[in-house]
Amino acid sequence: MGDCVSQMPVAEGKSVQQTVELLTRKLEMLGAEKQGTFCVDCETYHTAASTLGSQGQTGKLMYVMHNSEYPLSCFALFENGPCLIADTNFDVLMVKLKGFFQSAKASKIETRGTRYQYCDFLVKVGTVTMGPSARGISVEVEYGPCVVASDCWSLLLEFLQSFLGSHTPGAPAVFGNRHDAVYGPADTMVQYMELFNKIRKQQQVPVAGIR
Amino acid sequence: MADVINVSVNLEAFSQAISAIQALRSSVSRVFDCLKDGMRNKETLEGREKAFIAHFQDNLHSVNRDLNELERLSNLVGKPSENHPLHNSGLLSLDPVQDKTPLYSQLLQAYKWSNKLQYHAGLASGLLNQQSLKRSANQMGVSAKRRPKAQPTTLVLPPQYVDDVINRIDRMFPEMSIHLSRPNGTSAMLLVTLGKVLKVIVVMRSLFIDRTIVKGYNENVYTEDGKVSILESCVFLDVTDHATTALLHYQLPQMPDVVVRSFMTWLRSYIKLFQAPCQRCGKFLQDGLPPTWRDFRTLEAFHDTCRQ
Repeated sequence: MGDCVSQMPVAEGKSVQQTVELLTRKLEMLGAEKQGTFCVDCETYHTAASTLGSQGQTGKLMYVMHNSEYPLSCFALFENGPCLIADTNFDVLMVKLKGFFQSAKASKIETRGTRYQYCDFLVKVGTVTMGPSARGISVEVEYGPCVVASDCWSLLLEFLQSFLGSHTPGAPAVFGNRHDAVYGPADTMVQYMELFNKIRKQQQVPVAGIR
Repeated sequence: MADVINVSVNLEAFSQAISAIQALRSSVSRVFDCLKDGMRNKETLEGREKAFIAHFQDNLHSVNRDLNELERLSNLVGKPSENHPLHNSGLLSLDPVQDKTPLYSQLLQAYKWSNKLQYHAGLASGLLNQQSLKRSANQMGVSAKRRPKAQPTTLVLPPQYVDDVINRIDRMFPEMSIHLSRPNGTSAMLLVTLGKVLKVIVVMRSLFIDRTIVKGYNENVYTEDGKVSILESCVFLDVTDHATTALLHYQLPQMPDVVVRSFMTWLRSYIKLFQAPCQRCGKFLQDGLPPTWRDFRTLEAFHDTCRQ
């Protein structure tokens, strides 16, 4: 269950599509097998102005995410706060809660791509799109057998280096926070949320950069 | 063949009991015949009824007599199953077609052979231990005057002893917990949980380890109907193979508790399965697998392909 989500910067002079193809070809050379597609999407809501107290607190942002790996669940999380794992009916609930949470305009961001399986590693390479435009590339690597996050970081790092080369990221923040805690899907969604936020802040045409 | 084994059966009483059964059968059928025939023709109704009832009672008495006779004889015949050396499988000897399926005689021979083999192995190991190959003096068999006693067979140990040994080993290592259960008969089944890394199912035959299955921490040990489920991930398939190799490697017929202890010590080295790099090549991954082999003596981690 140890997971690492990172962004792959687009190579100079190439489009998003071509970089994705480069990556997938490298993976296939390594021996990975294609196993279908995946999709992770995220919608943003902010707390409605009417619920804010007289002290004028800033509204908190809430993200509602879905992951095709867990098709019957819906994840709702605050930036530094708790993550709620709920049924898919949660989306309907959000409609009813329109008074408290309002959807931010044009905020839907998603990543879609293919899944690859290599031994016990599950690799997902996806294109991050916001509306009609492609904004970047996301790479997620999941190592099934290990349940404690911090244990298998070195393993993941070595694997990432084998096909990402120099673009390998540093250890995700979630690994450092909870030693010996069992890794769960909520941690994956937190990582995706951070990635999406980072991509949102980037320019329209991403330049090769560090994570 | 059956006669040779069932010595305590009283054959005389046996044949008498068989004829008593036949007598009982005929008296019971007489009762039902009488009922079927109904009342005989007599002058008065009472006379017919009385005759019918008297006849019926006579038949019932004869049934009672025959049944008592049969019970008395059956007590004399004795219990043949007490003498079956293989308990329930001795009932295989009742198969009349001996030449086509000589299962029972083959079973008996197999058991006798294995018992003899174990006895000889015990004697041999006692003798060989006296002639120690190691130069260091240890307390085992230095003096030539010591003769090996015939050891009691370690295959038949009381379950309480097995429980005690396992409990002691459980307390040895803090990060390893052992849970013992006996789902099928007297063989113990251990569920060993190692930290948050893996779970091992160890099936034992008295104090000898018979089979191991290694599973990940988050894999289900039991399927819905309570059976042990099959494996899913590559790493743990590899570790299961290595565990089977280990249980074949650690062998000491006379001191099975030492064997179990060394096996558990070896197993404990897997707590760092995902964190230890291979001692030979220095890398973590080889073909997508972490170093799954643990050396039997030094407990160092190696990749499967790096170990030789």
